[in-house]
Amino acid sequence: MDILVLLAGVADSRYPLHEVSLDGNGDLAETGQTRRVLGPFDEGALELALKLRDKSETTRVHVLVLGGPNEDALARTVAAFKPDSLRVLELQPCRPWDSALTASQLGAFIRSDNSVPDLVFVGREFGDLDEGSIPVLLAGELEMPMFPLTQFAQWRGGQEQEQEQEQVRLMRERGTSREWLALDNTSYLATVTNDKRNKLRHPLMKNVMMAKKQPVDKVCQATDKAAGVTATSMTDPETTERNVQCRMLEGSVQDQAAAIADYIRQAAG
Amino acid sequence: MDQTNQMSRIVGVVPGAWGNEAVETTLAALQSVCGDMADCDLLVPGDAGIEQVRELAGHAGIKRVHCITGDGAADRAEPDVAARLVSEALSQTGGSEPATLILTPPGPDGEELAARVAFHMNGNALGRCENVRVEDHGVVATRSAWGGRKQLVLNVSGGLSVASMRAGKPVLDSSRSEAEQFAIDVNVELPPEPSLDQEPTGESLPPVESARFVVSGGRGLNEEGFAQLEQIARKAKGTLGGSLPAVDAGLVPVVRQVGISGKFVTPELYFAVGISGTPQHMAGVSPDTRIVAINKDPEAPIFSMAEAGVVGEWQQLLPEILKALDD
Ligand SMILES: Cc1cc2nc3c(=O)[nH]c(=O)nc-3n(C[C@H](O)[C@H](O)[C@H](O)COP(=O)(O)OP(=O)(O)OC[C@H]3O[C@@H](n4cnc5c(N)ncnc54)[C@H](O)[C@@H]3O)c2cc1C
Ligand SMILES: Nc1ncnc2c1ncn2[C@@H]1O[C@H](COP(=O)(O)O)[C@@H](O)[C@H]1O
Repeated sequence: MDILVLLAGVADSRYPLHEVSLDGNGDLAETGQTRRVLGPFDEGALELALKLRDKSETTRVHVLVLGGPNEDALARTVAAFKPDSLRVLELQPCRPWDSALTASQLGAFIRSDNSVPDLVFVGREFGDLDEGSIPVLLAGELEMPMFPLTQFAQWRGGQEQEQEQEQVRLMRERGTSREWLALDNTSYLATVTNDKRNKLRHPLMKNVMMAKKQPVDKVCQATDKAAGVTATSMTDPETTERNVQCRMLEGSVQDQAAAIADYIRQAAG
Repeated sequence: MDQTNQMSRIVGVVPGAWGNEAVETTLAALQSVCGDMADCDLLVPGDAGIEQVRELAGHAGIKRVHCITGDGAADRAEPDVAARLVSEALSQTGGSEPATLILTPPGPDGEELAARVAFHMNGNALGRCENVRVEDHGVVATRSAWGGRKQLVLNVSGGLSVASMRAGKPVLDSSRSEAEQFAIDVNVELPPEPSLDQEPTGESLPPVESARFVVSGGRGLNEEGFAQLEQIARKAKGTLGGSLPAVDAGLVPVVRQVGISGKFVTPELYFAVGISGTPQHMAGVSPDTRIVAINKDPEAPIFSMAEAGVVGEWQQLLPEILKALDD
């Protein structure tokens, strides 16, 4: 089975955001100390692919990392998990707010690549400028059915059976039920959400060291498709909409608890 | 039911099977975008719960509700199916002036629906927006980026835009009459229903989207803390939510994750315990929801959004709150 993992990364939220602005063409200009790291959904997508490979000798994990600021460092983070192939994909132009454009670029690249993957894992959001549209549109571009918000993946029969397993099962929860999809021979695109069961493992130190020296392959997908959505300005967010004065509850713990209980009772009606 | 080929430039879409919360939050989004709700139409794929939808829509000021039916569509609630029905229905009724903006319900399903509709109609997917305006020359949308640390203004100058918006609860006036109902019957080939194995998760609390009271825990809590939150939720007939780190730690299932990449909740009261109040989390709490918070850090941003708060540790406070609720 060939699994393709698409990773976009997010700006590390432990640090202030680097300088971002729009240039004269309405393209992104990023300067200063950019710290792009794997986001929670990137991590989940990568971990699910690695889990499936752990249990199957014929499964290969191919990774495409979105090009952009500190792409080499981001790609080397991924290289430490020893994917079977790893490339940085530069999009020209790169306008993630135009989801249709972005999905068509990704789709064109994947279609023109060596072979069609059996399974695509991508985070529920593709980076800091997407809010979930790109993966959905990409499924459309690739004409693949989509399994949304995957939490876990395993070979059919789970871990008990020793022999090479045939079928992958994807799991998500909705409402009060847990749903499993058994993949048939159709290629699927699965978006991945965070879950305790797909927290990214730690790489082996020796692989981290090796990854530091590894050259990073780069590929590019250009398009001359006209822009549908243009970005006209980028600003700091308006200050909080909730203009409330917080009443700090004082007194003993019992007094504080009683005051909170009043709020709760009131709301419970 | 009558037929019509009239359709406004601004159209709300909400599958009937998605329930009242989805209908209400879609109506709220329409109200925040349209000056006059008489200028909007509501499109409802599938006729599940259509009477309720028509009543709510009418109370929100909508004049026309279009119910889309088709072979095998009755009990399919998947976003992709709804999107195909909508696409076909609008191509039948588009008339001379096709819709400019479609708004879908807020939350993960509605956001998927928006992208699917855009895909099937070859429109522009604007995704989850904070603000959308229809102007003479097109659609202008504001969207947050980098987890709420920046705002982007986006422009679409032609064609259809599809967006979802988190606007909270609509203004309803029950003295308004019901909306008029129209039928659109479409003939469209639907993708096969995925065959899923289902088992119950054992969840017995109501979903976060529909409760009047939500108590949520964050990274500051552990299993014991979440067990106490659950008891509070049960006693107050509310429900339980959590932040992303709490979900990652396995303290609460991801179906209860509140935030930008999670559910959008619109309760009367949101009780945030051990949650710092990051933009990513607060994007999941309706702007008209009142907030009460417990946090041991007096500088936690959550206090600047809360109506009331206690600086303290949950270990001391939660057991006392449980006692107080018994009194
Ligand atoms: C792409 C992306 C998407 C994201 N989407 C979401 C999302 O949808 N929802 C979401 O929630 N997050 C999301 N996040 C994560 C977000 O950035 C924050 O990490 C998260 O919201 C922080 O959650 P928290 O408030 O529980 O944790 P923290 O920010 O760590 O806050 C924990 C709080 O607990 C308090 N505390 C500790 N001990 C105690 C105690 N004993 N008693 C009382 N208080 C105590 C601390 O003072 C602190 O304020 C996303 C991140 C990324 C990168
Ligand atoms: N600085 C960060 N920036 C963005 N995402 C982060 C950051 N730190 C942690 N995460 C994500 O948040 C989740 C919780 O991380 P942790 O604090 O390591 O438990 C993980 O899924 C990480 O991917």
